[in-house]
Amino acid sequence: MTSLDHLVLVSALTLALMLLFGRMRIAGRLAVVLYAVQFLLLMQTGALLGEPVASSLTLSVLDLQMHWRYDALSWFFAMITIGAGFFCAWYAAGVWQERYREEGHSPRLFHVALAANVLTMLILLGSGDLLSLFIGWELVSWASFLLMAVGGGPAGRAALRYLVYAFSGGMAILAGLMLIYTQTGSLDYARVLSLLGELSDGQVWLLLLLIGGGFAVKMGLLPFHLWQAAAYAETPGPGSSFLGAISARMGLYALIMLLVAMLGIGRLTAMEVPFTFLSARDLIAWIAALTVIIPTYIALQQHDARYLLAWHGIGQGGYMLLGLMVGNAVGSAGGLFHVFTYGITQAALLMAVFAVVHRTGTADLNKLGGLVARMPLTFLVLLFGIISLAGLPPMAGFVSKWMVYRSLVAEGMPLLFVAAVVGTLGTILSVYKLIHNIFLGQLRIEHEQVREAPLSMLLPMLGLSTLIFLVGVTPGPALSWVAAVQASLGLPPVPYTLGGIEDPRGGLDMLWLVGILMAGFGVGALIFFGLGGRSKRVHQLDNYAGGHFLTADVRYQYSDNFYAGLMHLIGPWYRGAFLWLEKALTATVAFLSAVMNGFYRYAQPALFVLATAVALLALTTA
Amino acid sequence: MIELILMPLAAFVIGLAMVLMMRRIGARLQRRVGPPLLQPLWDIIKLHGKETQTSHGLIHELGIVMAIGGFVAAVTLMPLPGMNGLAEQGGLIALVYMMMIPSLGLALGVGQCANPNGSIGISRALTAMLAYDIPMVIVVFGVAFFYGSTSLVQIIDAQQAGGFATWGIAEMPLLAFAGLFAMQAMLGKQPFEIYVAPAEIATGPMVEMGGKFLGGLFIMQCFQLYAAGALYTLLFLGGGENWLTFLIKVFAVVAIPMSIAFLFPRYRTEDVVRLVWKWPAMIGLLGIAFLMY
Repeated sequence: MTSLDHLVLVSALTLALMLLFGRMRIAGRLAVVLYAVQFLLLMQTGALLGEPVASSLTLSVLDLQMHWRYDALSWFFAMITIGAGFFCAWYAAGVWQERYREEGHSPRLFHVALAANVLTMLILLGSGDLLSLFIGWELVSWASFLLMAVGGGPAGRAALRYLVYAFSGGMAILAGLMLIYTQTGSLDYARVLSLLGELSDGQVWLLLLLIGGGFAVKMGLLPFHLWQAAAYAETPGPGSSFLGAISARMGLYALIMLLVAMLGIGRLTAMEVPFTFLSARDLIAWIAALTVIIPTYIALQQHDARYLLAWHGIGQGGYMLLGLMVGNAVGSAGGLFHVFTYGITQAALLMAVFAVVHRTGTADLNKLGGLVARMPLTFLVLLFGIISLAGLPPMAGFVSKWMVYRSLVAEGMPLLFVAAVVGTLGTILSVYKLIHNIFLGQLRIEHEQVREAPLSMLLPMLGLSTLIFLVGVTPGPALSWVAAVQASLGLPPVPYTLGGIEDPRGGLDMLWLVGILMAGFGVGALIFFGLGGRSKRVHQLDNYAGGHFLTADVRYQYSDNFYAGLMHLIGPWYRGAFLWLEKALTATVAFLSAVMNGFYRYAQPALFVLATAVALLALTTA
Repeated sequence: MIELILMPLAAFVIGLAMVLMMRRIGARLQRRVGPPLLQPLWDIIKLHGKETQTSHGLIHELGIVMAIGGFVAAVTLMPLPGMNGLAEQGGLIALVYMMMIPSLGLALGVGQCANPNGSIGISRALTAMLAYDIPMVIVVFGVAFFYGSTSLVQIIDAQQAGGFATWGIAEMPLLAFAGLFAMQAMLGKQPFEIYVAPAEIATGPMVEMGGKFLGGLFIMQCFQLYAAGALYTLLFLGGGENWLTFLIKVFAVVAIPMSIAFLFPRYRTEDVVRLVWKWPAMIGLLGIAFLMY
């Protein structure tokens, strides 16, 4: 038994215990403890800095050996996965679970789904060959589907849509694996790696299209992004947090395996896109950049807080891939680091939003407002989160985005740089709308008695917020993990310090920056509170504007179509082209299936079977 | 350490003088006399001393603290003659993002006032930020790429190495022009001042800001004027060889948008976006194209 076996066994045990005892009130707390144990066991594997840890389990199917192992990359993603599981289970363990039960849902199903997600992700991250990767991939897809579908209603529909995408992606990956197998005669990483160099450019393009496309579905890369927002947003609270924090990153993990570990940035740079001046690397970087921009500006139009954040989640994935495609030490580190900083940020943000839903019953941004005085700590969590998501100092998200920007400057990629900043600015606009429409502005009269979120939900939120701030001030420890991952992938490791990045041509030291920012706030507070007359605080509902008293029964919150001026200009640019494409595809498939159905029913069935068999034979022998 | 206290202080004093200059320019163009030397300072003292100080809650107050604090921190990232402050610890990119903190603080503060007109003002202000920051970052990218560094200290050293011929404005005139254009919008001066709406009492972000709230924003404006002038000087005019040339440069830079401001009416917010995305952004990209090829 190796330390990896222990980890996976405890994860499986978590799943089993949730199946058995998920009904009981203690189940939530039990899950928290079990995730904590998993976290400790992961630390014990030492896969980050030491040698990769293998599992003692190997299977052989036909002549293919399947095995599992953890290296630094697996460790890094597993750490975020288990961490997200831990915080989300904690959030669910107390009042949330009771409310969930009262609403007629099954907490057992939820706990099982969460545990199944963590387990399958750990299995996927440990895959030691392409076959185990594919099996892990399918397991993760089914587990995600389970978690998405437990909500029922719109969640079920969104989950089914996901399933269609995931199936198509899975089939594409399978086809890609066939291609690899027929060319190299093996699905083992080492064998494939040594023979991959001999493939022609055309074959590599096909691989990129099939396998890369399949993995991109999970990550929500353009043009496969449509399923994700609804599927993640409609999942019950902590489940949504978990999916938002890490689930889509499994796609990134697999893409890193394909693009960085197996093909290598060098190969991608050498491959020209026919009839253009772009290389494959540029093409992928631009897909990433468009994945930043388009979903971010779709998020700007949302009026449901959950959907808004879920759309941003898709957009932030673009930064990760963009940083990796830049490929230098700082850029690839920025991309990897963003997985971590974004994960903690998104988890905290969604938890805060669901805490508001827990208290008010709605996430509709047009039906909230002025809650800051009612739920001040939740406001604080959301504030820390949006600063980090928008990538402003002093939070964690700033450091990882800074690294991506810095690498784009160093490599001289102006248009990608501008695209990245356009995404960031859109994020700032959108998250301000989020915090304004929930917490600022007019308090609705029916929310006058709303109380702060319950402690059992508040503590994990505050824990994550503290983490967001601490990682922002001292990114060094987290960057040391990233540097180890880079080393294991054969990328140049990032030169980090405790406070940030060391670079003779312009580095970053967050210790100083945060220090001076806090000192600046101190000076500001001194000027504001120290000098001048005492301010008199008026009641939150005592307002006056434009010559009228604004009484509480009149709704005047400025919330709908918040950026009316901007939408006046860019509104016509939203054409729903991808939605149209999806609909066209669906309609085509439906039409084809109707044709086949008709053919089968009204023509001779025997003839049909014969024709199909002949066609298949012709295909296989050709 | 002493630099870190002196730099914000110098920024504040210079900023006060810039406010005075702005008012004097306006008066000269409109054939008035203009305010006396210490008027900006008296204004701040007067606003802080007001008896009626209406607060709409803690975030309203903390918003002002953030607005001042963000700039106090940001100016320490801009090297002055003989003082590097924190320029080595956080470069150009960190500076650009640090300068967004005050806007965020102001936005939060206004948001809590529960005045729909204030919220509309913020929606316009953020839209305008989306407009002018794009040419701004194009300019920042161009300069950082040209000098191969995001450290302002190195950018200044490279510019001072060969006199005027190596200044940013001589090496990258297109970017310098785009930067000036973006700065006009960044300062919220005419024709781009609709989001500040200083002429309308009942609209715009300032609607609930009275007394020391307005006083705090006055201080923020001093820092903002200084920061814009200093940033432009550092990127394109070779920074300050000594205090005298530095002061001449920053005041000259700020005088340009001021003079333009008093000659123009205003644009609607979405027209600002259209205009700024078209001209300075395109000119900036053209400038980068010249640098790279």
